[in-house]
Amino acid sequence: MLLDPDGAGPLHPGHARQNQRPGWEAELHLGFSRRQDKTVLVERRHRGPLAVQRPFYPGDGVCHVYLLHPPGGMVAGDRLEIEAMLAEGSEALLTTPAAGKCYRSEARIAEQSVRLTVGNRAALEWLPQETIVYRGARLRSEMRIELDDAARFIGWDMLVFGRPSAGESFDDGFVEAGWRLFKAGRPIHTERVLLDAEAVQANWGLQGRSSCGTLFATPASRKTLDIVRELIGEAPGRGVTLIDEVLVCRAVEARADRLRGFFQAVWAALRPEVLQRADVPPRIWAY
Amino acid sequence: MGSCLLSPKPGLTIRMATDLPLLRLLQLASPGLPVGMYSYSQGLEKAVDDGLVIDAASAGAWIGAVLQRSVANVDLPVLARLYAAWERNDGRAADDWSSLLLSCRESAELRAEDRQTGLALQRLLAALGIGEEIKPPGGTVTWAGLFALAALRLGVAQREALLGYAWSWLENQVLCAVKLVPLGQVAGQQLLLNLAEEIPSAVDCALRIEDERIGGGVFGLALASSRHEMQYSRLFRS
Repeated sequence: MLLDPDGAGPLHPGHARQNQRPGWEAELHLGFSRRQDKTVLVERRHRGPLAVQRPFYPGDGVCHVYLLHPPGGMVAGDRLEIEAMLAEGSEALLTTPAAGKCYRSEARIAEQSVRLTVGNRAALEWLPQETIVYRGARLRSEMRIELDDAARFIGWDMLVFGRPSAGESFDDGFVEAGWRLFKAGRPIHTERVLLDAEAVQANWGLQGRSSCGTLFATPASRKTLDIVRELIGEAPGRGVTLIDEVLVCRAVEARADRLRGFFQAVWAALRPEVLQRADVPPRIWAY
Repeated sequence: MGSCLLSPKPGLTIRMATDLPLLRLLQLASPGLPVGMYSYSQGLEKAVDDGLVIDAASAGAWIGAVLQRSVANVDLPVLARLYAAWERNDGRAADDWSSLLLSCRESAELRAEDRQTGLALQRLLAALGIGEEIKPPGGTVTWAGLFALAALRLGVAQREALLGYAWSWLENQVLCAVKLVPLGQVAGQQLLLNLAEEIPSAVDCALRIEDERIGGGVFGLALASSRHEMQYSRLFRS
């Protein structure tokens, strides 16, 4: 089946116009600046159920911030908008304290839009926990990353389809996941993948495995690529490539915890290379 | 009795106006075009190695998914815009569309393939004296960018250029599957018969899509292509 070019969504043309009631709209705007030897959260505005905890510093001057979505999951018609801007020289790590959830919806879609702007010599890590996509959920996710020439970035997106442990397979619904990375205004990586029930099952998709993830890191070198290749070894369902200065690592896994473990290992290997930082994991990952 | 060619009948010039573009398109879309297309499998070699493509049915499913989800949403819409850009001699726009196309390629190999086949066609066109007066100002060379320029200069209409590009892609993928799986020649031709039926609607889709909706990918292709870069022994360059 062809993606629907009219913009209403790939599977149910017209559903964007079927909204009877508006879903929950929530916005969060964050701004980071460098003050002496540490990064400070200088702007924090929100509307609707999206918030951040008080930032903290595990010791290296990087500002760690947990994003909170109190409803605990998205449903049809919800729209989340997150924006973070890192001023020159600032360093921040954004993560979430729990897996995101996207619940079943009758035809309408939930939308998440994330826009991250990373200034000159600034460094951002976008490391949310995985999103669990329930059977019948419909989610459109757009990531837009705007990097200055000398900006550094590591980010990932992990999706789990259905709840295999509860015997619920993903035979209805979809996620349309888009990533656009720009460097000094030029597109350096563009991705829009439709992950529907067919793609989850197919050999050209997730091969029947329930989870998948994509990780981006830049600037990356041939040495960085070799480190991740070494980590992958002969393991099936995992791949890495270096496209100009952007490293892209992809994986499919039958179990979300293994996918998370793999990406955390890749992150730990990349962090000293890409960000010149020790691989100190956020405390909240210790589960 | 003279041969048909030696005694032109009235109407020949009119037929020439439609016949020649078709013949030009066949030449441009031919696997005989010396750009080295046969050396790129676009991840199929690794998909076969990983046991994901094992027979004609799984090859057809793989190639069909890439046609519908990637070629129809990335290559063909960008090709249409490249053609339009060359038509108005707008090298800057052509360069921007080629950059966007490259940014949609999911691995280093796939990006290199686009650049290398594009450069090969650029050299060929220059040697033939076709379209060498236009160089993309930013120097961004892609297969689709040069294919669009060649089609325009050879009098091929836009829609036909998209059909030819898609056919040429499809034939190359099926030939790769025939070699790699391997498949019999009849099975390969059957795949071409089946999958070609999806090309007209893919072209329709490409001609309708809005600029900001361009983009599409197939997770397994992206994964297979990046795994191909690590494959120990390989015949193909992608």
